[in-house]
Amino acid sequence: MIAAIVLVLRLALASALYLFLAWAFLILWRELKQEGQKLAAKKPTGIVIIQKQEDSDEEQSFRFYQAEIIIGRHSQCDLSVADEALSAQHARLVYRRNLWWLEDLGSTNGTFLNDSHLTTPAVVITDDTIKCGNTFFRLQIDNDENSVHKN
Amino acid sequence: MNRIVQGNLLKVAGAFIFLQSAILTLAPAALARSFDAPLRWTHWIAALILGFLIILIHREIAERLPDADPFLFPTAVLLSGWGLLTIWRLDAHLGARQALWLGVSLIGLFFGLQAPDPLNSLRRYKYTILSGGFLLVILTLLFGANPMGFGPRLWLKCCGVYFQPSEPLKLLLIIFLAAYLADQLAIRAGIASLTLPTAVISGFGILLLLFQRDLGTASIFIALFTIMIYLASGRRRTLLFNAAVIVCLAVGGYYFIEIVHTRFDSWINPWEDSAGRSYQIIQGLLAVANGGIEGRGLGLGSPNEGRGLGLGSPNVVPVAVSDFIYTAIAEESGLLGTLGLLALVGLLLIRSLRAALLAPHLFRRLCAAGLASYLGIQTLLIAGGNLRLVPLTGVTLPFVSYGGSSLLTSFAALLLLLRISNPLDEEPAPLANPRPYYTLGAALLLGVFSVALANGWWAVVRGPSLLTRLDNPRRIVEDRFVPRGKLVDRNNSIIDASSGKIGALERLYAYPDLAPVSGYNHAKYGQAGLEATLDAYLRGLQGTSAATIWWDHLLYGMAPPGLDVRLTIDLTLQSRADELLRGYSGAALVLNATTGEILTMASHPTFDPNQLAETGDALQSDPKRPLINRATQGLYPTGSLLDPFAQAVTGKQSLTDAERESVYEAIGFQRTPQIQLPTAQSFSAVGLEHFHVTPLQAALAAAALSAHGIAPAPNIASAVNTPADGWVALPVLGASFEALNAPIADETAQRLIRSGDRYWSHRGRAVEGDSAVAWFIAGAPPNWGGVPIVVVVLIEEDNPQAAERIGSQLIAGAMNP
Repeated sequence: MIAAIVLVLRLALASALYLFLAWAFLILWRELKQEGQKLAAKKPTGIVIIQKQEDSDEEQSFRFYQAEIIIGRHSQCDLSVADEALSAQHARLVYRRNLWWLEDLGSTNGTFLNDSHLTTPAVVITDDTIKCGNTFFRLQIDNDENSVHKN
Repeated sequence: MNRIVQGNLLKVAGAFIFLQSAILTLAPAALARSFDAPLRWTHWIAALILGFLIILIHREIAERLPDADPFLFPTAVLLSGWGLLTIWRLDAHLGARQALWLGVSLIGLFFGLQAPDPLNSLRRYKYTILSGGFLLVILTLLFGANPMGFGPRLWLKCCGVYFQPSEPLKLLLIIFLAAYLADQLAIRAGIASLTLPTAVISGFGILLLLFQRDLGTASIFIALFTIMIYLASGRRRTLLFNAAVIVCLAVGGYYFIEIVHTRFDSWINPWEDSAGRSYQIIQGLLAVANGGIEGRGLGLGSPNEGRGLGLGSPNVVPVAVSDFIYTAIAEESGLLGTLGLLALVGLLLIRSLRAALLAPHLFRRLCAAGLASYLGIQTLLIAGGNLRLVPLTGVTLPFVSYGGSSLLTSFAALLLLLRISNPLDEEPAPLANPRPYYTLGAALLLGVFSVALANGWWAVVRGPSLLTRLDNPRRIVEDRFVPRGKLVDRNNSIIDASSGKIGALERLYAYPDLAPVSGYNHAKYGQAGLEATLDAYLRGLQGTSAATIWWDHLLYGMAPPGLDVRLTIDLTLQSRADELLRGYSGAALVLNATTGEILTMASHPTFDPNQLAETGDALQSDPKRPLINRATQGLYPTGSLLDPFAQAVTGKQSLTDAERESVYEAIGFQRTPQIQLPTAQSFSAVGLEHFHVTPLQAALAAAALSAHGIAPAPNIASAVNTPADGWVALPVLGASFEALNAPIADETAQRLIRSGDRYWSHRGRAVEGDSAVAWFIAGAPPNWGGVPIVVVVLIEEDNPQAAERIGSQLIAGAMNP
């Protein structure tokens, strides 16, 4: 009789132990999901890239809402440019810590930001000019507080 | 958010501790199977006070470190509460002390939370910390003591409190290494300056190993050092290098340091020396096996029964409160419990490593990773050591084991982890190569997983076969709690029975003269005779339904009440035989010639099994060998006992060897009787003339004369009283066989009836060297209307008259009841 009571207590005890664990892992799982949603919800500020060839005045503009833009000659690149002087994956723009960063992807001919050779990732702002091969890209970032508005 | 999570988890942990406390209170009543038992209450006071402290700390964490990891504190509370109650159950005195230490640790944590962040100053004073560590080691080497008065001197005694410096030393090492490595990495130092402290720390480890025989701390030191260097440098080479160092140390230690040698040998093969050096580990494994999957329940396993019952050891598993607490938990909570415990440890490790990765400074990151490694490695070392996964090293299970130093250190580590997990308003420090952290996490979790597998192996796969080991003390404990079945004679007069209160049951032998036959069931001397051969019935494991056995095992961890067994022995006849035989060495048997039922089996000199505790050793070395059942185990030369059988089989008295052999063959001297008793095998000492047989064999041959030539199958246990069907006949083990032609048997018996007697009889005598034995066989005539009694008497002296006197009185009494 007493042993039966104790048996019930023992079962309850095991349940408490596993409730603790289940709860802990449930919270961990929720946290994981939350982090994922937070990341997914974190929309980068839109960016417009205005592309112009060195030898022409024709401008093309592209608007992006994603957090990573790869520029290169390869057709799979986010911004694919038919320019023989570009590497297949030449450079990329990355949205991190609420800023857009430009990073060279080990290109053959190098990436230039406002005419200076890019060696480490650098923050870019509106009206910065990037030169890759024979192509120029001018940037316009939405609501850019850092930009120096030239009229 | 974190506050709510921590609060909810603490509530569940509180429920766990409440339930565990309730079980602890009720366990003595459950074991005694009545409320008339000393219930345990004192631990509730400790639980209340500690619960209050825990609530205070919960609020303090929520207020001061609002972003601290909400899993760490509840997990630590659950683990330490579980440990405390397990210790309390093993030894209430130590439990109270542990409660005190837990209180001190919690108060320390409370004030530690209010104090300013110590991490920065810890980093600044790293060399002071290192020197402090050195000082502790030197002090321990000089003034070390052991609270038990023997063994490794790893404690410092101050103000009446013993303190184990190796515990805080591990923390000091982690802090020093984290600070040192963070500084070195800040100035982009090379691998050489990273490994510079190698010499210092390895020196530490080896010093401890050499002078203090502290294998556990030395291993943890080397492991922590390796991990920290690996995390800082990110180079696997360091792992290989340190692995090589460890192997060298291990090999060197094996050949030059005795304790390493012992530990290694008892790890590889503990079964060799199970009563000596590997006693502890085997008893630990038995505890794990006894826990099985579901566990016996706190207070219902056997670890503490040793204390109150005076089995000679303070606990069934030595040092169950500290080094072997994992096995105590495994026994009482089962695989279910230990898997939960390991999952808790895994949770603690994962969250600590997460805190490390998110830490804003390299120093904090290394510190948290070091603390996680400390908790993880120490748990794996001792749990793995208990389960024979790795060689045993005497370290504590963090948060769980008994010991003030261990508990304080664990809570100090918790405080640092809580602080590190509460991020400053900064981004995590940059991490170029996260791989070492992943490797560390994976390795620790793999370790936890291996421990879980090993636990399952011992508890489930090997458990049942382990528990049948003779050095499993649980059988003896069980005998004190579960009434063993009675042995009764054919008229239900008690021969052996259990008496006393549950928890202090004792076997009483109401008819001690039968001891060489009925045997005994004793804590020290084991089992003998019918008590041994009928054990499965007497213990209730045979004849009881499987469901009952399962239910009793689940409720009490014990076998169900034993079943009574009825013997064929007639105590009236038996006592007459014992009276007649007293003073002689020999045996007397009375059989029913047709059924083979043994009505009397006397063996003298006999002994009193009630006195076994005092006389056991003397009995074992007694030259008269009273423990032997002479009726089935004594082998005696046949001599002229054979004459009537020789006449009956071959028709003449003097025989050739071949004829002799055919006589032996015919009357069954060459077959060992099948009976629920240990029997000796007949043999010829020197040629066939000196063939030796047991009195039982002689009795079966004699029975053939009274039963028309058929030698019956002997039988001593006739029935068992099962709960479902009442008395059920037990099977006869052997088979009867035709020893003689019926007419020849009848004729021989008739010829052996002397004038004036109602029975046939024959005296025999056999001489062998200086000694001689006297035989007497007698039996009812073949046409007898009553029970066909057969009597055999053997005495170990050249005195056929005495044998005849005893035998004729026996048969006269048996035929005229």
